[in-house]
Order: sequence, then structure tokens, then C-alpha cells
Amino acid sequence: MSRFLNFDTLSLHAGQTVDPEHGARAAPIYQTTSYVFPDTDTASSIFNLERGGHAYSRITNPTVGVLEQRIAALEDGSAAVCTSSGMAATFCAIIAILSQGDHIVASTQMYGGNISLMKNTLPRFGITTSFVDPTDTDGFRNAIQDNTKLIYGELIGNPGLDILDLEAIAKIGSDHHVPFMVDATFNTPYLCRCFDYGANMTIHSVTKWMGGHGAAIGGVVVDGGNFDWGATDKYPTITEPYAPFSGINLWEEFGPSAFATRIRAEAMRDIGPSMSPMNAFLLLQGIETLSLRMDKHLSNTMELLDYLSDHEQVSWVNHPSLPSHSSHDLARKYLPKGAGSIVSFGVEGGREAGKAFIENVELASHLANVGDAKTLIIHPATTTHSRIDADALAAAGITEDMVRLSVGLEDVTDIKADFENGFRAAKRLAKL
Amino acid sequence: MYFDVDGKQVFATTGGKPFDKDRPAVLFLHGSGLDHTFWGLHSRFFAFRNYAVLVPDLPGHTNSEGPALTSIEAMADWLNDVVVALDARDISLVAHSQGCLMALEFASRYPGHVRSISFVASGLATPVNDVLLDAAENNPDAAIAMMLGWGFGSAGQLHQGPIPGNSMVAGGRKVMRGNTPTALVTDLKACNAYDNGKQAAAKIACPVQVIVAGKDRMVPARATAELIEHLNEPVVTVIAKSGHMLPQEAPDQCRSLLQAFIFSNNPAT
Repeated sequence: MSRFLNFDTLSLHAGQTVDPEHGARAAPIYQTTSYVFPDTDTASSIFNLERGGHAYSRITNPTVGVLEQRIAALEDGSAAVCTSSGMAATFCAIIAILSQGDHIVASTQMYGGNISLMKNTLPRFGITTSFVDPTDTDGFRNAIQDNTKLIYGELIGNPGLDILDLEAIAKIGSDHHVPFMVDATFNTPYLCRCFDYGANMTIHSVTKWMGGHGAAIGGVVVDGGNFDWGATDKYPTITEPYAPFSGINLWEEFGPSAFATRIRAEAMRDIGPSMSPMNAFLLLQGIETLSLRMDKHLSNTMELLDYLSDHEQVSWVNHPSLPSHSSHDLARKYLPKGAGSIVSFGVEGGREAGKAFIENVELASHLANVGDAKTLIIHPATTTHSRIDADALAAAGITEDMVRLSVGLEDVTDIKADFENGFRAAKRLAKL
Repeated sequence: MYFDVDGKQVFATTGGKPFDKDRPAVLFLHGSGLDHTFWGLHSRFFAFRNYAVLVPDLPGHTNSEGPALTSIEAMADWLNDVVVALDARDISLVAHSQGCLMALEFASRYPGHVRSISFVASGLATPVNDVLLDAAENNPDAAIAMMLGWGFGSAGQLHQGPIPGNSMVAGGRKVMRGNTPTALVTDLKACNAYDNGKQAAAKIACPVQVIVAGKDRMVPARATAELIEHLNEPVVTVIAKSGHMLPQEAPDQCRSLLQAFIFSNNPAT
């Protein structure tokens, strides 16, 4: 091989060395807590970050390592660290560079867990957040304070589906020496590689489209390796000596993977939200078919957008692929293959009609997840976003009649037929 | 750490321990368009085994003030200025690719403090083809792709790496992109122009080792054979499955070879 490999090839092969002992083609599941050291010098040098290697599966594991390197390859990141969930990834990434007294500028349109983390949990540790409408790019610049250490957003906002202007926001971050972290769960690297547009780190809940099967929870932080931590003294966790590892200076020693190394050396060691080897194996099986699945997600989504847009029981439909969407131009720029497979729509008749729709479909599963191979629906105002207040609900673009649809891989004719049952029930309710 | 050489700031990592001029030194030299991070899996090892470690960024590379130096001879003179500035003594040079040409020239010009030299993935000369030179000048991303494509073996192309979770090839790309538009092309031109290897090798009297990458596509086997032929009794080892970026692709094997050679020829108590 003498050239860079393409996306589909990396999805199948990146990060894996074929098992030298038995020749196993699939990545083996290293279901072990710990690893036998050949001698004391090797042991001490692994612990002292002098060399690569595994010591304890809370920190690294060979099966998890394959997944990490595969995702780093797909994202064109310098390094990746997998975690037990997407929320763990977000938390670990934030605490790697922020401490008491620091500040985040974040989008209002994010998964409810992210909003709750920044609005309720992080303030307990002295980290505050200013929330900004993702369509108001200047708002990000205006919200930056002297103590701002991070800009955070979801490329495709949840559930309003507004698209972040990656290049413009990355420029704001660069102007202020503030890194730009993007939750890229909804797009996956197949639809958009955020580092190509100036983002500095990405977060994924790999539970979703990356895995695709809904069988394993997991998260990942990917280090873009493109932020100059040394250009400012604002990030001492990266650029100052780190006492637990003999005063190592991560920026000096690890350069483009300094941020990922901090997560590994601190969060995985001191907090321990590690991914299990079994989950890593399951997620690897999903990633092997990522592009095939995403193409089918997108084609089904386009067919359902036509169907819903023409349906008399649907009061409105929201998706960035629709010319009526406020982010349509940004979607065409950053997501040329398609703007993901989440659709939100309103059922004619309001909250009760929406409830009737959800309770009368059978193929579509009513549950709190997205990005499964199976079609999923939910009512965000009473579930995923129920723990945020009315103002935040409004800021996130969530209405009482909103149904969030995660389009699956079923035959789209069957999805439509299933929805007809739901719409008939909603219509019957309206006639009562 | 930062220090001044000829009024310009130079950055070097010291492997996590302060540079102690009274200890034997191991001085690592990176290749074209790269920086100190290339030696991360080796420098820290020696620093924690009683050596004074220095891994400088060449002028105009990553953290060191520019401009980049335009000839191997100028790099050798600059390296001597670094050694003088830090009062480094009893030096083991460890060099990769372009760094090997620097080491050859430095050791032939300033032999006084050099105790050993380890040449990794090197030839007596490093001619650069016109396509790469043109790309480095006019399309740096293409040049980087060529160098990383040829430089790493299959493990690199598959984003494998010795540090769990890290991609060697993506990390290399980030570093090299940071060293464009000028440093990479300046380095390659300097390599291409260097033709004093034979004379320099003849002047080297200290112990030398040559670590050869069996799948090296950046340095022709003929050029490596010439280096071995003109050095005085080199210790030669071939790591069969590694590509040109051997210190990153096969760090454990490389480190073991360096350890045995340097511990023996320049011991630190």
C-alpha cells in the first residue's frame, strides 16, 4: 500500500493488526482486566508513558484500541479515546481542559443531556456556560469572555436540526485561541469530517449511527490535533507539567495528540468511564457497514420527507434537506451527501394527536434513542428534553406537537404503511 | 524548553526531565518537515535513565523560530551552536533520514563531543525526486501525502500505531501541515543538494550503528548500502517489516537497539 486508503476501506480495516497467533480475521475480544509485563523495566516504562502498551483495561484495551484507531482514521484525527457512553465522552473532554472558573459557549440546540450537563452539573464545579442560538454565528463571538475555554455545539442540532456554520465558528475560536468541539453524532464522519472545516475535537455517541444496531452504548472523543495549545497560557492542563506522570508536559511530548493523552492519563485513570471490550467489538461490526447504512438512511429519509410533506395529517416537516429549512444552504455546504436521518414533524391536532400517532404505529419503535437500524420515534417535550425548562425548550425549537423521527433501514413502503395507521388514529381523535 | 541560539528562539523537548549538562547527552534529530514529537517514544525512555535528552525542532519547524536552514552544512553548524549554548558533552546522536545527513556533517566538523551516532533509515545521500520537490513547492498537501504514503508501511496506512488510540499517519500529517509552506520544501531542497556524505563519513571515528528499514521506500537500498560501506565498522541491523518511519512504526525494536548501543558506548551512571 503506498497511498492513503479510502473511507470504506478504513471502515473495514483501520486500526486492526490481524491476530498474529491464530490469524483471526475479526478483531479479537480481549476480555481481560490486565496484562502480563515481560519485565519490570517494560512495566515501569508503560506506566511512565515512555512507550505504548497496555497495563489495565480501564485505561487501554486492545479491542477498544482497534475501535479508537478506526474512528481516528475515519475522522482524520490524530487520536481517539473511547468511553462508556457519549455523555462520558463529553464530560471527559470538557474536564480535560476546563477547571473551576472557566466558561463554555455552547449552542442552545443540543441533546438534553448535554444541556443538562452544562446548565445543572458543571456549574456545581464552577464551570459556567453561555448558550447561543446556533443560527446566530455572531452570537458565539459576542458570548466569548476572558475565561472562555471552549466553544461547543452539535453540527446537526437536536432536535431542531439547525446546522452550525463550522468554518465561521472555527474562525471565531481561532481568533480567540479557544478550541471548537463538535458533537458529530448525527452526521458521522461519512457525512462530514468536521476537522476539514476547522473544528478541533469531535465527540460521538457511537451508540447511534456509528454502531447502528442499538446493541451497545459507547462514546468517543477524537483529537483533531490541529489546535495550538502552546500559543496561549490558557490551557495549563495541556501545557504545564502534570504531576502524576513525573511532571510530564503533554503538549511538548505528544504534540498533536496532547489533548487525547490528557483524557487518557487523567479521566480514564482517575474517573474510569471505560468502554467494555465486548461493546467495542459490537461497535466495530457496525462501523464496517457505516457508509452502506448511511446511504440507505438518507434515501429512506428523502422518500419519507416527500411523503410527510404531502400528508394532510402533518402540519409541518423539518429537515435541513428541505429548501424551506433555515439551514438548507449550510446543509448543502457541509453535508453534501445528505443532512442526516433525523426528521421532526408536527401531527395535525397538537399534543394529543401526536400522542395518538406514536401509540398507534407498530413498526416504528417508541423509544429514547436515534441512529438505530430500526425506525424510532419519540415525543421530545415529554421525554429526551423533559428535564430542561420551558425557556430552554423554546430555545431548542421544541414544540408540544413535535414528533422526532429517526429513519431506519426498513423497506420505506412498510414505514409509510405503518405511519398511515398512526395518522388514521390521530385523525379519528380529531373527529371526536 | 526554549533557549536562544544566534538571537533566535529554539524549542527542544527534554524527555520530561530537566536538561543536565553534566550527564551524557542523547541528541535526537528529526527528518524533513517533521518535529520533536517524532522521537516521543524514545526520548522519554533515555531521560528517565540518567541521560540528558534534547530533541530540538529545527529552525522554522513547529516551535522553533525561523527561517528554516537551507543546507545540511548550515544545519550542522546550527547544531553545534545548540551544543555550545547548552554546554552539552558526551553526546550520542540519534538521527532519522534528513537528520542523519545533519549528524554526518556535524560529527565530521565537530567531532570533539560525539561519543556515538545512530543512523536510522538513512543513506549517504538523500536525493529527492522532482515530482516531490515540485509538490512541496506548489502543493504542500500533495507532498505530505506522498511522503506519508511512501514513508509509512502498511501499518501506518491502516492507522495503526504503538500508542493505543493514536494514528501515526494522521499525527504525522498534522505536524507536517504545520511546517508548510516553507520548512518542508526548504528541507527537501537541502537534502537533495547534499553531496558531502562520502567525505564526512570518512572523518567519523566514533562508534556508529545503522538501523535499516526493510520496507523503506524513501531511501533507496543502494544509498543505505553506500552509507554502510563508507562508515567505519558500523553495527547494522535490519528491521524487516518496517517502512521509512521506523522509529514510529517499530518503536520497541528501535528503542532496544538504541539502548544496547548507547548504553554500551556512552554509559550513564
